[in-house]
Amino acid sequence: MELARNLKVDSVSRLHPTPPWQVRPDQSVAEALALMRQHRVGCVLVCPNEDELLGIFTERDLMRRVLAVGLPLSVPVARCMTRNPVVVHPKDSIGAAVRRMEEGGYRHLPVVDPAGRPLGVLSVKRIVHYLAEHFPSIIYNQPPDPNVVPLEAEGA
Amino acid sequence: MNCPHCAYDNLPGSEQCGHCLADLTQLDRPVAQDRVERSLMEDTVRDLHPSPAITLPPTASVQQALDLMLQHQIGAIPIVDGGALVGILTERDLLTSASDPSVASTPLPVGDLMTPNPATVRAGDSLAFALHQMDVGGYRHLPVLENGQLLGIISVRDMLRRIMRVCKTRGW
Repeated sequence: MELARNLKVDSVSRLHPTPPWQVRPDQSVAEALALMRQHRVGCVLVCPNEDELLGIFTERDLMRRVLAVGLPLSVPVARCMTRNPVVVHPKDSIGAAVRRMEEGGYRHLPVVDPAGRPLGVLSVKRIVHYLAEHFPSIIYNQPPDPNVVPLEAEGA
Repeated sequence: MNCPHCAYDNLPGSEQCGHCLADLTQLDRPVAQDRVERSLMEDTVRDLHPSPAITLPPTASVQQALDLMLQHQIGAIPIVDGGALVGILTERDLLTSASDPSVASTPLPVGDLMTPNPATVRAGDSLAFALHQMDVGGYRHLPVLENGQLLGIISVRDMLRRIMRVCKTRGW
C-alpha cells in the first residue's frame, strides 16, 4: 500500500472530521473556552449563523491574543479569533490537507462545503491516526520499550 | 512457525527455535513495503533534528511560560527540576487553567499545571515508535531523551514534514 498514492486518493471526508462546534462572534472568550473544555477540543468555529464561517478560535489564539496581552475572558471572541482561516473541502485529498497544515503550522482546519457552510473540523490528531493506521504491521508491532525483548515465551 | 534451519514447528512469535536454538526474531520482523514505511522503520527521532529544549523549572510562573512560548513560537515546554524531566507544560494545560475560575484567581506555578511524567522517546527510537506514541497518547509534542538527559523536543509538525518530504508527491 503506497502511502503517497493514498494521500492523493483518499478524501478528507474519509477521516470523519469532528463536529463543527460553534460560537457566535459576540459570545465571550470564556464561553468559547467552556465549549472547548466541554467537548475536549482545541478550537471552536466562530459563525454568525449556521451557514457562515467567520473565523476560528484556537488554543494558540487564546495564548497569543488573550493571555499574552492580558485581556479579560469577557471580551467577545470576534476580537481575538483568526479571521478567514485556511479551510478544506470534504472532497479534497488528505494529502492536500496535510500540506496545508504543515505549511501553515495549523493543527485544525475547518471543513466547509462548496458554499462555505461549516461541516466539521479536521484535526492533526486525526491525521496522525490515519498515518499510524496505514502501517499497522510496523506501528502496532512496536514493543512498549523498543530495546527490551522478552527472554521467554509467555502465555497460557 | 517453522525454523528455517531445522524445520522444527515452534510456537508463533518464538524468539528462538526450541530445537536448534536458532534466532527466529527476523521471521517476525515487519518488512517495509515502500519508501515511506522504510523511512518510518529505519529513520530515527534524531533524524528529525529535535529542536533544543527550552525548559523551565516547576517553580516558574504561568506568565514566564507564556512569554517563552510566544517568544520562541512553541506550544510545549519541558519542565525540568534538578536536571531531570518532571513534566511538560502545553497550551492545553494553559487553556484548562485559564478557563478554570478557581485556578485563574490564584496564580499557580507551572509545576502545578503541567502534565507530569510525560511520554518520551529516545533519540535512537524509530519514527514509527514516535508516531505510535503520538497516536496512542494523543500527544503533539514528545520530549527526546539521550542517555537519560533531555536532548530536545519533537512535534507532530516535524513528523508530518518528514513524511511529506519522503512522499515527495506533487500535483496536489
